[in-house]
Amino acid sequence: MKQRLRICALAAFLAFCATSGQAQTVVIVNSSIPSSTFNVKELLDLYTLNKTHWDDGSRVTVFDLKAGKAKQAFYDYIGMTEEDLQRIWLRKQFTGRARPPHAMSSEDELVAQVGKTIGGIGYASEKAVRGKKNVRIIAKLKE
Amino acid sequence: MRRITCSLLIALGLLLPDLAAAQSSETSLFGSLQTVFFNQKSHMTFGRLQPWGGTDIREERSSFAVQQFDIFLQKPIGTSFSVFVDLEYQLNYSSEQQWGSLSLQEAWLNYAPLDEINLKVGMLYPAFNNLNEIKNRLALLPYIFRPGPYERLLSDVFMSENYLPEHAFVQLHGAIPHGDVFWDYAVFVGNAEASYISHRGSDGQPENDLNRNFEFLTGVDPTEFNMKLFGGRLGIRAREESFKAGLSLTHDYDNMRDTTQFPVIYEGMRTPLAGDAPRIRIGADCSGSIGKVRFEAEFIRVVYDHAPATRLDVDLDQVFYYGMLGYGFTDRLLLYASYQGGKDVFGVEARNETVTAGAAYSISSDITGKAQYILYRNETEHGSHVDKLSIRFVFLGFSIVL
Repeated sequence: MKQRLRICALAAFLAFCATSGQAQTVVIVNSSIPSSTFNVKELLDLYTLNKTHWDDGSRVTVFDLKAGKAKQAFYDYIGMTEEDLQRIWLRKQFTGRARPPHAMSSEDELVAQVGKTIGGIGYASEKAVRGKKNVRIIAKLKE
Repeated sequence: MRRITCSLLIALGLLLPDLAAAQSSETSLFGSLQTVFFNQKSHMTFGRLQPWGGTDIREERSSFAVQQFDIFLQKPIGTSFSVFVDLEYQLNYSSEQQWGSLSLQEAWLNYAPLDEINLKVGMLYPAFNNLNEIKNRLALLPYIFRPGPYERLLSDVFMSENYLPEHAFVQLHGAIPHGDVFWDYAVFVGNAEASYISHRGSDGQPENDLNRNFEFLTGVDPTEFNMKLFGGRLGIRAREESFKAGLSLTHDYDNMRDTTQFPVIYEGMRTPLAGDAPRIRIGADCSGSIGKVRFEAEFIRVVYDHAPATRLDVDLDQVFYYGMLGYGFTDRLLLYASYQGGKDVFGVEARNETVTAGAAYSISSDITGKAQYILYRNETEHGSHVDKLSIRFVFLGFSIVL
């Protein structure tokens, strides 16, 4: 009996480790954004502030994280470094073309802001998005 | 002219529904500041004995300065409009002490119904090569002292308004995505060069170089519409912004009405050259980064088509070029070297070259420490003799994003 319990506990621990290690990063938008899928190029255009309007004409509001695994995973996915993006954002801001993304301290805060902001887009771990209202997943990053 | 007015009215009519639907967002206030220390050693050698009995002048000076302070305001209005203002203070500005200058550099309204179409109206830096739109955004540049005509502190010395379209007032521009690149386009129109603009004369009354009869205002352009600045840029830019290149073209007039403003070195007849000289600027630029290597290069050729100058065989054409190569040793430290050169002719050939080496170190995302060494050399040929000027600068400074 004890041995069976030990095996169950070990299996549960391994399952927990496996799921927490795989924390899938997802890209989310405010539910006001018309349903469609987004490829890497389109996400790159959104985060380099080259695309500032959605297809329905509404303004894009970009949210970013200050730090974390999801941030690194997303930047790797779009093929940019933090320094590259900072330089691009500063140029767009200083030439009046666009405002830099709002940097959030936590994934929960980011998800809440995307949910509250019409035209909002951001990224977070799938766990942080699960069950949240007014946000829709538009891309899952390949592991 | 009537056609232009009709077109503007139709355009305004198209915009009005969007204006009515517009909702205001909050205004962003931000800025940049660059504070410097510099040491300057100058040496002028004249090719023949001067009236004071020598052929050499040497001088050294050092100074601290708040080189530039900019306040920016930006406000999105509704889904398609945005407003941007840039207020620039230069060189320890003080109206009390009459130091430096305060000026409105940009103030425009942008209408962007799509990312591919933007219409800017108001005073703006037009798209010309790479640096013109960001020439006073010191926080974006690794330099303390900008390349030749872009150095706003010495715009008179470098005759910036000959090389660059300094301001425009209407610009249609956008970026069209195509595969892995964007095609950038811009067409603009603006006032004639600054020397035409009405200013306050010594008697306190508004005046200009053309006609004083109907001059009631300062800061406005008294020339007819065909004398305005017209230009554009066509460029290509990598989607991830690691490379951009473009060709630029402008047409406007050089104010050569006041012959006392001709370069001091010009020794020929002045009066027959007086007038409005048609001028074309041709620009080419490329910039970007490959791994840790960063590069920038520009070329500007100014071609004059001034009949009196052709008759007198006075060459007015000018050339400016520069190239910068940098290497990011770390994410924070960029070391670079640059070379720039050019040729002003105006009857007497003057060649100049500038060699620069510098470093920019990001102390934080908002503070960059900068250092720059500059060697400027100029040679002016006067037929029988050559005058040589060399100036060595060492700059140290901080660029701060506010």
